[in-house]
Amino acid sequence: MRQPVRTLAFAAIAFSVSLTASVAHAADAKTVAYIAPSLDISYWQWVGYGVKERAQELGMNYIELTSENSPAKQMDNVRTALTRGVSAIVMGPVSSTSTPQILRLLKEKQLPIAFAGIGPQEGQTDYTSAVTANNFETGKAQGAYVCKLAKERGSNKVGMLSLPQDRENAQKYLAGAKESFKADGCDLTQMLETHGLTVSEAVAQANDILTAHPDIRALYGMYDEAGTGAAKALQTRGMTGKVAVVTADGSPTTIKLLRDGAIQGLFLQEAVGQGIDATTQVSNALTGKPTTQQLALKEPLVTKDTIDQADAQKVVKRVYPPSAGKF
Amino acid sequence: MNKPPYLMTARGIVKSYGPTSVLKGFDLSVAAGEVHAFLGGNGAGKSTFIKIISGQIDRDSGSLEFAPNSASSSAADASDENTIAVVNQELALLPHLTVAENIALPRSRRGYGLFNASEARRIAVDALSLIDPTFAQASVDRLVADLSLHERQLVEIARALDSGASLLLLDEPTANLTAGETERLFTVIRRLTVDKGLAVLFVSHRMREIRQIADVCTIIRNGQTTIDRVALTSITDAEIVEQMGQAALGPAAEPRAQRRPRTSGDGIDAGKPNDLRVQTDGIDLEIASGTILGLAGPPDGPEALMDALIGVSRAGKWSIARNGTAVSYRRPSTAARDGVGFVSGDRANKGILANLPIVDNLAASARIVGRKRAVRREEVAQGSDLLDALSIRAGSLWDLPATLSGGTQQKLLIARWLRLKPTVLVLEEPTRGVDIRTKQEIYALIREMAAQGAIIVWWSTEYLELVELCDTVLAFDPDGHPTSVLRGDSISEAGLAHATGMAA
Amino acid sequence: MKTITQPVGEASRRRSSIRLLSLYRTEIAIAIAIIVMELAVGAIVPAALSVGNVANVAQAAAPLVIMAFGVLLVVITGGIDLSVGSVFSLTGMVTGLAMAHGFSALASSAAGLSIGVLIGAINGALVTYVGLAPFVVTLSTYAIAGSLSFIVTDGHSLPISDPNFWLLDAGTLIPGVPNYVLWCAVLLIVIEFGLRKLVAGRWLYAIGSSSSSARVIGIPVNRVRMTAYLLSGLLASFSGLVSVSYIGNAEATAGSSLMLQAIAAVVIGGASLFGGTGSAFGALLGALMITIIQNGANLIGVNSFWQGTVTGVVILIAVLIDRITKARR
Repeated sequence: MRQPVRTLAFAAIAFSVSLTASVAHAADAKTVAYIAPSLDISYWQWVGYGVKERAQELGMNYIELTSENSPAKQMDNVRTALTRGVSAIVMGPVSSTSTPQILRLLKEKQLPIAFAGIGPQEGQTDYTSAVTANNFETGKAQGAYVCKLAKERGSNKVGMLSLPQDRENAQKYLAGAKESFKADGCDLTQMLETHGLTVSEAVAQANDILTAHPDIRALYGMYDEAGTGAAKALQTRGMTGKVAVVTADGSPTTIKLLRDGAIQGLFLQEAVGQGIDATTQVSNALTGKPTTQQLALKEPLVTKDTIDQADAQKVVKRVYPPSAGKF
Repeated sequence: MNKPPYLMTARGIVKSYGPTSVLKGFDLSVAAGEVHAFLGGNGAGKSTFIKIISGQIDRDSGSLEFAPNSASSSAADASDENTIAVVNQELALLPHLTVAENIALPRSRRGYGLFNASEARRIAVDALSLIDPTFAQASVDRLVADLSLHERQLVEIARALDSGASLLLLDEPTANLTAGETERLFTVIRRLTVDKGLAVLFVSHRMREIRQIADVCTIIRNGQTTIDRVALTSITDAEIVEQMGQAALGPAAEPRAQRRPRTSGDGIDAGKPNDLRVQTDGIDLEIASGTILGLAGPPDGPEALMDALIGVSRAGKWSIARNGTAVSYRRPSTAARDGVGFVSGDRANKGILANLPIVDNLAASARIVGRKRAVRREEVAQGSDLLDALSIRAGSLWDLPATLSGGTQQKLLIARWLRLKPTVLVLEEPTRGVDIRTKQEIYALIREMAAQGAIIVWWSTEYLELVELCDTVLAFDPDGHPTSVLRGDSISEAGLAHATGMAA
Repeated sequence: MKTITQPVGEASRRRSSIRLLSLYRTEIAIAIAIIVMELAVGAIVPAALSVGNVANVAQAAAPLVIMAFGVLLVVITGGIDLSVGSVFSLTGMVTGLAMAHGFSALASSAAGLSIGVLIGAINGALVTYVGLAPFVVTLSTYAIAGSLSFIVTDGHSLPISDPNFWLLDAGTLIPGVPNYVLWCAVLLIVIEFGLRKLVAGRWLYAIGSSSSSARVIGIPVNRVRMTAYLLSGLLASFSGLVSVSYIGNAEATAGSSLMLQAIAAVVIGGASLFGGTGSAFGALLGALMITIIQNGANLIGVNSFWQGTVTGVVILIAVLIDRITKARR
């Protein structure tokens, strides 16, 4: 009677050992979690595309979570990711101020995290990398270009359609732009912040700025939809080209508008590129390769004349995925 | 052409709500051109039957036949004429719409037709003028939400009369009408029955009115027909009451002549002074404890005084003093805590808490007066006692009040105050829609409370009631001004009609 | 046998104009409030009163006005439709998708409108025949349609480039009158007429006033309610179409902020969320008021984050004034 029991026992042990082995084997394939502040905006979808592509290249698994613009949800997502046993996190934070407690937690767990698009709070150090656009420099460059275009059109007055100023990137953009305006003698007559990041809102705001200040000759758009909206407002008024529009980010829509002459300049933000680079960074951390804590990608300016050049096209391909539209 | 004898014939109607069997094989038939009184005790099944005939609820079994009016000349006319108009106790009006729209809208059957507002107004004025021409002209554009219960009743009746129905179902239609309006309503009914062969089935508990207008009566008892189409000329009131199963009434009502004149300090709460003094131009009335004061006349006048007494509005033109001190109640809760109770016949709007079970309804006033913060278990025991004290049969304390009949709900509202022993109890048409037996029970209850020292203030548009109950009556004219005070033997129907100027 | 003769001629006409004034009391109060506000803004920023700005405001308000008309119908019956914003967005996405696949502007618009009809039908059926609470039903369809707006194109926004389609919004079928104004005017007249003069319009108010009494009287409550929800969906869809034709871009989040604004517009204009009151004219004025507040705040340069406070306070004042004048009656 003892014989069958012993056989059973051995079989059970053998089974569980092999199970553990296979689980361990699966765990060898690392997983990177991409936590986006929200996925209803193309920009963050494109960052995710970059993370996914790079993860695949590196043989990692990919999961995606959205924080719906809520710091509480964001924390939840981090915990969920940990529970699911991910090896690394690439995050676009809801806000820079929401990052300290996350970094504390991840330091405890010794998990590498890289930020994409928006950096962590000033003074934080416990993270692998922050791959952001160099917002300050871009602000400066864009501000200078906007001022130049305004002056070409006979005025030094400019208007701005801004991102919510509670975001670190928005603050940096503004600081850089203001510096340029001051240096080049332009007057930032009015700035309106967006709530919903929709084109309709941008249209209404652009219209209102132009109504209130008819002598404005250039509009600074801090986000992609601002450019589309401003272009639309000008088109309705029959003033395309008479007021210059320069915007940041870049998308198939604004690139088309650029080619059509409705927008005069695009400062391309490599959304996909940020995703790619952030993933590379955490992968480096996992495999013991050197990492760079501050990766500030440049946002190059493209105009109608330069958009089709090879280097511009290379950048554009790091802005959005092929599925989004034409380049 | 074989003229069928009856306009509507109901045979063997059965209806149960779960385990409770309400109608157990009930028969009733109504002929064209007759006014048919439908009598029965509390909970005997009258409202249920009316809802079945009017199509609001389904019967379980039994047959319901409508014969076309013999005046119809084609099948199409006949089916059109088989309309029934019903005036329920719970009025079915649309508060956000005007009087004109309420009366005229039911005529429109097709949604994509035009609604002619001025035509509607004309229809409404004509229909209302049958009963009250002044009201008709003044109110046709008013929103129903702004009307008093009395006025709404007029509108609903006008709508029914105007509907061109061949059968009119009226459930206590005169409950909120003055004598004059009742007279005019009856005139209209008589005319319509003679001229157009209108059949009227009407529920009422006011024997005098029934004899005034009805030709025959049918009595329902325990869900079955006990009296079927008996001419009113061949049955006495006593027989009717007996057939309704309300013969065993307990001690006979105390004849008024034998009632001792009340003096302060009489009664169980001897030593606790309790008197009420109300004053306005021309009237200075002092009411001793134990008095039943009646208010006679149309709503405006009595309501002003009652509102001041119960704290719904500031005293206005009335000066009120209790035990020598002037009082002016800011809020109903202040009045309640000063011992003033209020019971209204407008149960749906001024009394019953429809979404709360019976136990909460019973404890409602006690909670206000005692400023209770928490619900206590003892309220359940107390509720139970109250139900027994008033012989209220309810399924359980946790049922909703809607499961009780109108008369029982009224007893519930009185029960609310019983334990609290109010020093002043104000009643507003409290026997509206209540059957004879329950009425007598309520009278006995109120008399008991008066005997224990309470002052009762009772407004009713039924003079008989005031004559039976009251020691003193304050009469009001149609403009709301108090006219005179009647005492003792001068309280009679004729005397009241004269004092209120409501002589038909 | 008529006992009363009709008042004729002058007296009758005077009476009806007084009646009309008292009927539209709330709307007149709101209109005055709007004019006062606009003048106040104009005092600070003169350009606010320019033709260009008025056109801008009308342009921005048009989709909200159309959506508010739909919500109004449902609110009058005592219900609510929270799905309108999502219907707006989803319509735009579906239309854009159809166009991207080569369908004509007309066919794509029809596809878009069918979304409104479909969701309206679902809302109506669940509320009327299954008896679920409107809040819950339309909240669910709001969530479902909202997420479908993203699924349709994986979240990307869609450019719309058919110039014919542009006609829906800014062309001028009648010379001098932009189409979007035309749609609003036509819908205003049709809906207000329907509400005041058609029996079905009276039925809407009846149901909102007391659906039990309405049933007793013989009004086909179910049919009327169903129609109200269908129309709400259709109008929300149409407003999405109008908006998308102007913007030239379909975005999945386009309608999210509009839902609350549409409900606010209807209530400002005099409707009660309990049902039984409201007018198309009032809904239009309410939508205008909301748009003008935003426009005014932008022109003056009020910090965007204060705009919510400004909007709320102005609405409160308008509603309070209306309540005070009502109480004085």
